[in-house]
Amino acid sequence: MNKLYALGLVAGMLGTPALAQNKIDFKEFTLDNGLHVIMHQDNSTPIVVTSVLYHVGSKNENPERTGFAHFFEHLMFEGSENIDRGQYMNIIQGRGGTLNAYTSNDITYYYELLPSNELELALYMESERMLHSKVDQTGVETQREVVKEERRQRYENQPYGTILPETLVRAYSVHPYQWAPIGSMDHLNAATIEEFQQFYKDFYVPNNATLTIAGDIDYAETEALVKKYFTEIPEGTKAIFRPDVVEPKKTSETRDVIYDNIQIPAVIQAYNLPPRNHPDSYALTMLSTYLTGGNSSLMTKELVDKQQKALVVAAIPLELEDGGIFIMYGITNMGVEPKDLESEIDRLIKQVQDQGISDDEFAKLKNQMENSIVSSNSTMAGIAENLAEAKVIYGDTNYINQIMDKFSQVTKADIQRVAKEYLDLNGRVVLYYLPKSAQPTTE
Amino acid sequence: MKKLAISFVLTLLVTVGLMAQVDRSKLPASGPAPEIKIGEAETFTLDNGLKVFVVKNTKLPRVSFTLVLERDPILEGDKAGMTGFVGEMMMGGTKNRSKDQLDLEVDFIGGSLSASSTSVYASSLKKHQDKILELMADVLYNPVFPQEELDKLKKQSLTALAQSKDDPNAISSRLSSTVLFGKDHPYGEIESEATINNITVDDVKKYYSTYFKPNIAYLAIVGDMDKAEAEKVVKEYFGSWTRGEVPKFTYPVPQRASKRAVALVDRSSSVQSVINLTQPVQMKIGDPDYISSRLLNQILGGGSSSRLFMNLREDKGYTYGAYSSIGADKLIATISADASVRTEVTDSAVYEFIHEIENLVENGVTEEELAKAKAELSGSFGRSLEQPSTVAQFALNIDRYNLPKDYYETYLQKLNALTVEDINATAKRLIEPDKFIITTVGNGDEIKEKLAQFGEVTLYDNMGQPAKELVADADMTAEKVLEAYLTAIGGEEKVKAIKTAKISMDANVMGTPLNIAFSYDPQNGRYGQKLSVGGNVMQKTTLADGKAAVSAQGQQMDLTGEQLEAVMLNSYLFPEAIYQEKGYTLTFDGLKDVEGTPAYKVIISAPSGAKLINYYAQESGLKIKYENPASGDTFYSDYQAKDGVLLPMAWTIKSPAIPVPLEAKVTTLELNVPITDEDIK
Repeated sequence: MNKLYALGLVAGMLGTPALAQNKIDFKEFTLDNGLHVIMHQDNSTPIVVTSVLYHVGSKNENPERTGFAHFFEHLMFEGSENIDRGQYMNIIQGRGGTLNAYTSNDITYYYELLPSNELELALYMESERMLHSKVDQTGVETQREVVKEERRQRYENQPYGTILPETLVRAYSVHPYQWAPIGSMDHLNAATIEEFQQFYKDFYVPNNATLTIAGDIDYAETEALVKKYFTEIPEGTKAIFRPDVVEPKKTSETRDVIYDNIQIPAVIQAYNLPPRNHPDSYALTMLSTYLTGGNSSLMTKELVDKQQKALVVAAIPLELEDGGIFIMYGITNMGVEPKDLESEIDRLIKQVQDQGISDDEFAKLKNQMENSIVSSNSTMAGIAENLAEAKVIYGDTNYINQIMDKFSQVTKADIQRVAKEYLDLNGRVVLYYLPKSAQPTTE
Repeated sequence: MKKLAISFVLTLLVTVGLMAQVDRSKLPASGPAPEIKIGEAETFTLDNGLKVFVVKNTKLPRVSFTLVLERDPILEGDKAGMTGFVGEMMMGGTKNRSKDQLDLEVDFIGGSLSASSTSVYASSLKKHQDKILELMADVLYNPVFPQEELDKLKKQSLTALAQSKDDPNAISSRLSSTVLFGKDHPYGEIESEATINNITVDDVKKYYSTYFKPNIAYLAIVGDMDKAEAEKVVKEYFGSWTRGEVPKFTYPVPQRASKRAVALVDRSSSVQSVINLTQPVQMKIGDPDYISSRLLNQILGGGSSSRLFMNLREDKGYTYGAYSSIGADKLIATISADASVRTEVTDSAVYEFIHEIENLVENGVTEEELAKAKAELSGSFGRSLEQPSTVAQFALNIDRYNLPKDYYETYLQKLNALTVEDINATAKRLIEPDKFIITTVGNGDEIKEKLAQFGEVTLYDNMGQPAKELVADADMTAEKVLEAYLTAIGGEEKVKAIKTAKISMDANVMGTPLNIAFSYDPQNGRYGQKLSVGGNVMQKTTLADGKAAVSAQGQQMDLTGEQLEAVMLNSYLFPEAIYQEKGYTLTFDGLKDVEGTPAYKVIISAPSGAKLINYYAQESGLKIKYENPASGDTFYSDYQAKDGVLLPMAWTIKSPAIPVPLEAKVTTLELNVPITDEDIK
């Protein structure tokens, strides 16, 4: 509290004394097989979230077999030695629950949200997935088709849907972040069943997983149930493959045009970021909020409201373990040339780099961050995910309680500094998304 | 203490169990069902009639204020769309703050503030509550409704409307509302360019001063605030709000169709059909059939293991998803079942929908299905209680729908007491399988005849209005159409006397001027087309020396084969006069509706496959539309005589690439002037 107070003095924001985060209590332990377990008790609603974070994402893939991590997320719902094909979802839903999963460049995350009297079921289901999931030809064939449909819906048929893959492939030259989690259909088609089985053996092991249980639980009972179902799962026999390549700093701009099924052109810029746990990440998040967070933010007010050059502008730091990208996109208003919008975006970036931000703007930014951090732990599902990420990405589960503190250490000067250091026009990627009809062809 | 003892015993058991190996062949049984406690909502009413609900939840240091107006639906008539503007107009600035100031002050405390025609919502951290309440009250009492804000909103609205005319899902939902409810019902009227343009600032002001009254309002306060504090702040910020008489409206109850029928919108570019089987239903929260209708819908099509999904997606593979819904609304709701399916299986999919609905009503549901649906709905009810706003919503519903005080406390009991017989009776009471309207948006040529087996097929346009069905005279031919066209514009002789032409057109796209220039010199095989913005050529097409090229955004592409041939076809100002000598073939494709004008469709094709698709008005003979699947459609109007030949002075270009139609006016038109290389290059 003292440190925050001193910071408040410096920043000239005494009017709004900083507020400590609501503390999230938890207990944790590690089984002999390496499975790390985090528990958070909150008995206010009789529900429980059970999640498993596998520390494997698209960056752990063989460059000739991209899309494996995401494909496994699908395959892992096919069933196990004791769960019939296609029954995984039915069982959870039939007990009043809901479930889902996602895959990023860094992790694969599964969760079930159930009435609290179904905790044992959830642990059983997740332990089946970790112990002996069904990785067979039929499952692979079925999920190939589903993934094809997903690709069609989310990338090919979705306006601007290919922004992420098209940006990543240009933002990275050596790091496996150059491909998106959806990967390549050709790679998946070419893979043999043995390769799929090997991927399961390599990465779906307890020593590469974090189990989180949050909600209406009893700590002792939960620990006992976890041991009952997870102790027998054998530890992996090999070291987990993690890429250790460092993406070299780019010195020249990469610029391209993508023709897509869209009506309105868009401008995309991407700047490489430091690793996710780098101290500058906090200032970069604040910078993105300064640029496009809220109706009064610099770019929204200037480009959407005043000049009406853009329908929308957004700056999003896509934070990744080994260093992600700061993506900025603007969708042009009718009759505005992408070039015109881009030069205005660049002008505003330069303004921040040259002049920094005012005391008032910095105070506003602090308040916006405080509100969003307070709200980030408002659901059991959100708390479970934040706990797991704190442990896996930041190496300390208690990081969940230190986020406000980290942001409090950012100074006004830091915002200007990171804008200069990371929003480097020379190493960036710029893409114009244009309607297919604008593609040079006959009329 | 007791809990501790239990878990100790359990730990012991588990240790024993481990030694004996876990039995993984059976699913673990459910534990004893937890008690579902619904938090308490406290309530009070101000003298001005404002009803307040307070749901205290101190988990997080934040608080939200939701103000809701309870009024009858309004028929907006020739100003349809007006209520959609009210909220943003209120946020457009107040007597005390410009829009910029308002935006800044909301962001400064990291809060949020928004409004609609029937609500105002504000939230912030606890410590900023006075500020957010001050801003909320300012928006509620002092909006100034700036004209420029309305102009901006209208522009956005017109853009969205233009986009929606080509969006199959938007067309489908518009069609469903117009065929079910009709334009004289608030749920059946639709926004058009005309109704949006009719809206004035005064309309918005009048609405605001009529309906924003405390005596029809609820205020829900959720978060870090107790009743005592709520009473204090509500009195401070909302106590001086004055009552007013608010008009009430009643509407005739929409009736179901007398028999099953098909409403079709022909969207020729569709590769999928958007199908919706729908009928109105009188259903609202608290209705005796309400809870059983939730279960009924869950079994039919509420989720990804329901009957429709299992049949149409998992078994047949017709679609990515098929679902149903049974709405609930004070005035009138709908029962719907819908999916987007591949064009080829449109009729098969409709057949399966009808089969599933008939089967459900005739043969009912099974015990197993009911048990699963109960688990799914109980689970989602339990999960919804994690959000404290759910409790406020329940309290509000109890008041709005006159429900018993314990309606939600006993909701799960009521749900679990329902039997297969109850659900089957509800199905028979609510659903009439032979009285559905089957709305379909898809490729009419492919699906229209196949849909006739399900009922009479009526064609509608993309705004949900009945489309004209046109039949050409049996002896009409393409040759006759082209001959009539040449006669109408001045006769073949005069047309052939025109050797070259230069046309320059201006258009304006939201403030940006645009120029399109054409140069025709067909005898020398030359043609040029340029699109410029501010004097800079953005895109051009050229033809000279038997070569054609297109360039845009600094890239150039040479054209060959069919593409080259297509440019050649376009290089004639009057392709109708030369098709014979060039060896082009003609195809007659009937009488079509072109924006309300009956017109003959004629296709002129080159041997390579390149073609021109043109429409000639039945009555005047003039060419009124040029259709190009790649670049969009051009509509010609305002024909004027130049050198004895009628030429269109207004071109309207509609393309998927531009959200609003481009209106281009001819500024200069020169005939038989020399065409220089500069014109072409």
